[in-house]
Amino acid sequence: MSSDTVAVIGGGPGGLRAAQGIADIGHKVVLVEKQRYLGGSPITQKYYGLTPRGEPAQPQIQQQIDLVMANPLTEVRLGTEVVAVDGEAGAFTITLRTEAARDETFECGAIIIATGFSHFDPGRSTQMYGYFEFPDVITQPDLEAMLSEQRVLRPSNGEVPERICFIQCVGSRDRQIGNEYCSKVCCGVASKEATELREMLPDSKVLIFYIDMRMYGYWENEIYWPAQEKHHIQYVKGLITEVLPKGDRLLVRGEDTTMGRPMEVLMDLVVLSVGMEPSPGTRDLARLAGVRQNKYGFIDAPGTPLDPVSTDREGVFACGAALGPADIEDTVSSAAGAAMKAVGYLRSRAVAKAN
Amino acid sequence: MPVGGRKVAPVAVEKETATVTSTISGREVELTARWNRMFEPRVLTNYGPEGFAAIAALPGGESLEWCYGCGKCVPVCPVDMVGDYGPRKLHRKVQTGTELLTDADLWLCTACGNCLRVCPKQVDMLAIMPAVREAALSGSTVPAELQDVFEKTFRQGNALGQSQRRRAQWADSAGVPVRILAKNPAPVDVLLYVEDYWSFHPRGQDAARAFARVATALGIDWAILGAEEKTLGDSQRLAGEKGLFEALVEDAATTLAKYDFQRIVTPDPHAFNALVKEYPARGHSYDALHYTQLLAPLVGQIRWTRELDLKVTFHDPCYLGRQNGEYEAPRTLIEAIPGVQLVEMDRCRQNGYCCGGGGGGMWLDSFTGDHTTERLSERRVREAAQTGADVLVVCCPYEVSRFTDAAKATGHEDLRVCDIIELIDEAMRDGTDGV
Repeated sequence: MSSDTVAVIGGGPGGLRAAQGIADIGHKVVLVEKQRYLGGSPITQKYYGLTPRGEPAQPQIQQQIDLVMANPLTEVRLGTEVVAVDGEAGAFTITLRTEAARDETFECGAIIIATGFSHFDPGRSTQMYGYFEFPDVITQPDLEAMLSEQRVLRPSNGEVPERICFIQCVGSRDRQIGNEYCSKVCCGVASKEATELREMLPDSKVLIFYIDMRMYGYWENEIYWPAQEKHHIQYVKGLITEVLPKGDRLLVRGEDTTMGRPMEVLMDLVVLSVGMEPSPGTRDLARLAGVRQNKYGFIDAPGTPLDPVSTDREGVFACGAALGPADIEDTVSSAAGAAMKAVGYLRSRAVAKAN
Repeated sequence: MPVGGRKVAPVAVEKETATVTSTISGREVELTARWNRMFEPRVLTNYGPEGFAAIAALPGGESLEWCYGCGKCVPVCPVDMVGDYGPRKLHRKVQTGTELLTDADLWLCTACGNCLRVCPKQVDMLAIMPAVREAALSGSTVPAELQDVFEKTFRQGNALGQSQRRRAQWADSAGVPVRILAKNPAPVDVLLYVEDYWSFHPRGQDAARAFARVATALGIDWAILGAEEKTLGDSQRLAGEKGLFEALVEDAATTLAKYDFQRIVTPDPHAFNALVKEYPARGHSYDALHYTQLLAPLVGQIRWTRELDLKVTFHDPCYLGRQNGEYEAPRTLIEAIPGVQLVEMDRCRQNGYCCGGGGGGMWLDSFTGDHTTERLSERRVREAAQTGADVLVVCCPYEVSRFTDAAKATGHEDLRVCDIIELIDEAMRDGTDGV
């Protein structure tokens, strides 16, 4: 029995956008989300402002949720995990599991995997950054949560930090760790957070230690240049090798590569710009749906660049950070593309059948 | 590193001695701690926005902080070619704690503007340097030789400290009458603003006399101010003496208002720059030309009397070319001279290499010498000699003396240095005067 329903797995920005798109053009959609709420990483991680323009994350994402909830063609399943994908393109059977009830199944003609990413765990870094050792070493998402609470304090002593630095490329571009790719968003996010810090703590001094600043497209003029020219954030080329305790502060050591000299700078707060990895959900869904993953675990899109959302399995599509590092703009763009591809697939099947 | 189950930070150990292996003898040489430390790179610890904030507080100083370190400026910086200075480097030094106000780097920039030409972030050293230098004037770090020129300019109205009464002395031996407006204030077409080096420097005076003969032969109605003329002081402005410049503007505007002239023509690209950029911003607008722009349209009317049989190369003045976009007028004149073949240097036009005289560099030769391996003028003369030219022709009054000295210093005594107007004058004379 073929079905004209599309299953969207994952309720973050990509899944929300895909579900909206499918329902908007008149198809039924089942949106499955493991958490008991929609919104994905921006909500789970308490994001403060969205790139590139810094709009508040929570209300922006809520708007998307409201659009999805308002459409009667959409069925949302919260607190629900996919545990099996059976059948074939046009007639998949998806088995769902919730904590409370027995497993249940539903039929769908196409699947969109929107299961996103996880932040890199800095405990796995080859560098000695001491994330689990020093309370004042935090990550970008930790800082997002602090910014959202409007309380940026040094975790060690509750004081307002005066000197704050970001260390780029933590867990990215690293053969030893296995993540050879650039995570694409961390340069922009660091600059965005640095700007937000300077606005919230005008007396703070903020530095960003980097290998290359990768501010593609409008991020250059919308994020990077204002951060430097208006908010006086100091960009220093050369990564930090190690973080050492020095009294009640942290000494960051590295090489200033343009000066060709070693640097040792005292900091109150060190922010690790952790990269993106495929989320456990992305790895699970790839396995359950039987789609090919690349060597890093992200879902492979063999038709890229002109078809960046189709997987190697007919009727199964993916979007956003399930496919590789992506910011929110990239994610919703590819989600809209995946929605169009999925519905297009179902309709062309129906037409072929009628003939 | 883990020590007995505890994480202990490594402690930096300062070496008391170091051993260096000679690359020639292979022997090992021990260095004591004092010398050893001189070979160790100094650790940078002082990162912050404070230096930029102090400079940005000075009007014009805002853009230093905008540098994103691409490095396009350094290879085109004339000073970096003979030393260790460049806008990108300066940005990093200020970011890592160097106090520009008291640093030697403050006085090395010649305001040639080649960095700004290539800078994607529009970091404007032509605004930054005068602003910071002005702030430095109140301290005691202004190089003495530059301070001396500021004082001469203030007292005498010219950078050479000469008596203003001798302003027009060069004209006595020009061989043609030179009209001085104070004596004959009737309306005139061209007012020649002679400026300091054509007025007082012996080689500049040669060029002034050549101009007098050529202009007269072409029937141009022209005159000079004579003793009433003071320098317009654009290089003093770029060297930081904004107050002096403003006073000179008022002086010059008052003097110029007394006379009825159509156009103001100057041999000095720095004066030309002031007249076309600084004066209008202060409410004084003139129809200003560099002398090559006056003569280039008249080149067809020149009656040549001889062929010179010379291979020449031309040095673009920064403040005529790159700063004000005039590359063709001097070349039109050079190429019109019978028997003259123009060969270009590798760095010419927009990418012309600075003679080292701009932005106060004219008066900082010994200071700059202490911080560079060679004078910019020497570097330029070697480039000129490589073209195989007999003559290095110029059209900025700073350059004849600078390049003549540089030619001697670099062993290129046979490279003749002269102003374009001198070659024109030479090719217009009858063949009997033995030149």
